[in-house]
Amino acid sequence: MVNVTKRFVTPSGAAMTAIRDVSLTVAPGEFCAIVGPTGCGKSTTLTLAAGLEQPSAGTVRVSGTPVDGITKGVSFVFQTDALLPWKPVLDNVALGPMFKGIGKSEAKSRARTWLQTVGLGGFEEHYPHQLSGGMRKRVSLAAALINEPSLLLMDEPFSALDVQTRAIMSNELLNLWDRLTPTVLFVTHDLEEAIGLADKVVVITAGPGTVKAVFDIDLPRPRGAVQDIRFDKRFLELYQQIWGALREEVEQTYARSAGQIASGRAFA
Amino acid sequence: MATTPPAARADDELTISTQARTRRTRHRQLVILGQAGIALVVILGWQIGALTGFIDPFFFGSPSGIVIRLADWAMNGTAYGSFWLQIWTTLEEALLGFAAGVTSGIFFGVLLGEVPYLAEVIGPYIKIVNALPRIVLGSIFVMWLGLGLPSKVMLAAVLVFFVVFFNAFQGVRSVDRNLVSNARILGASRLQVVWHVVFPSAMTWIIASLHVALGFAIIGAIVGEFLGSQRGLGLVIATAQNTFDANGVFGAMIVIGGLALSAEAAMSMLERRLLAWQPAATKERDVQGV
Repeated sequence: MVNVTKRFVTPSGAAMTAIRDVSLTVAPGEFCAIVGPTGCGKSTTLTLAAGLEQPSAGTVRVSGTPVDGITKGVSFVFQTDALLPWKPVLDNVALGPMFKGIGKSEAKSRARTWLQTVGLGGFEEHYPHQLSGGMRKRVSLAAALINEPSLLLMDEPFSALDVQTRAIMSNELLNLWDRLTPTVLFVTHDLEEAIGLADKVVVITAGPGTVKAVFDIDLPRPRGAVQDIRFDKRFLELYQQIWGALREEVEQTYARSAGQIASGRAFA
Repeated sequence: MATTPPAARADDELTISTQARTRRTRHRQLVILGQAGIALVVILGWQIGALTGFIDPFFFGSPSGIVIRLADWAMNGTAYGSFWLQIWTTLEEALLGFAAGVTSGIFFGVLLGEVPYLAEVIGPYIKIVNALPRIVLGSIFVMWLGLGLPSKVMLAAVLVFFVVFFNAFQGVRSVDRNLVSNARILGASRLQVVWHVVFPSAMTWIIASLHVALGFAIIGAIVGEFLGSQRGLGLVIATAQNTFDANGVFGAMIVIGGLALSAEAAMSMLERRLLAWQPAATKERDVQGV
């Protein structure tokens, strides 16, 4: 990503800049976490990488080719699970290969294998609403990974889960990432999660977002349980460094929104 | 004693659930009793009123008169063929109109919902046509298509179309954007997105409109027959009205009511099948028919 700027035109006609001159390079197979205050354009960055939106200025390149339309070889895991509620779990996971033009029975057998991989063998015929939040997240992961993406985009994927489930899912994500080694762009507001998972943590400034700092996470891999690494000395050091950078931005965002509320102009 | 022995507890559970069930059954019986009571009071009151002259049977008919009239129609037929033929004619018109209206409504609703440009261009015109009292279109259709079946089917279809169209359109517009984005990223083509994501998602909205639409289909068929026809329940009512046969009007009304109720029941069955994937809690939506 080189000098990417995205301007949205708001319905009232005014231009709003979501991110400004964001430059960011992620190496193949790297796990990159993006943190920043709310409304700083973290999610926008992902939609640009996915090709769902086109940048207003600058270029987005994935594996060297400029993004134009939906990026090839990319999968997206959303904050709210994007499962089709009217299809059983198996059909949901089989969607990826089916859209790629693979026959129905082949797609389903692949989906079955993937459901077993994420520990949901035996739930093939359940509908999404019959599963717990953590299980739905597993299905989302299987549905995203079944296409064997080279780039996996994750937009606060675990933020709706409770703390225990989140820890389990984080470990599971690392295992899957180890096996397939896709490049991962992982947006989160949880700094511990970011440091625990990623090779690299990018801090975005308060909106309009731009890259404030990039931290390399030199914790050794495999890292084992995400819950335990939090007590590692190096982890704490990194946490303090990154939090130092992030805090200013969070405080600025907070002051801004507080000011708006105080002067009675509260809008998002 | 600190804890209850398991056996005693199980026993208790049993009595509790039995009691709960008895209460439920009793409640159910009371409701049915009340419903039957109202029907009985109304029908008996009407009959007695008619017999004593308190209610003028010439204008208001009487329950026994209605039964006799219906029996007469069923056995001897009406002036324009057997009574069953009249029922079948109306039913056929309503069902054909329903099918045509629903298909076209869904098609155009999804099309305009998916192509914003079309929606912006055609939208105002649809609003204009929708603002017309569409029943008057019946007169045009009778002029164009004659007294036979096509004019009634057309009227029913037009009434149905708008109900279904607006719901399908709204349904398509309110599809979860995440689901669409996700399907696109997974490699779905535009048509695949419509077929796998947009259409099933709009289905909840469309089905909600079908109950109302079915009522409109029957109204369309009967009003069409009123305006000009050679047979059908609408004509039966019109004739009864012209001869001041109150029992005839009420009798035909009861038959139409029966038709509408059974169609409604069939609709609910279809709905349960199509929306089988929904969690139980959201299924309790009661859509008001017309």
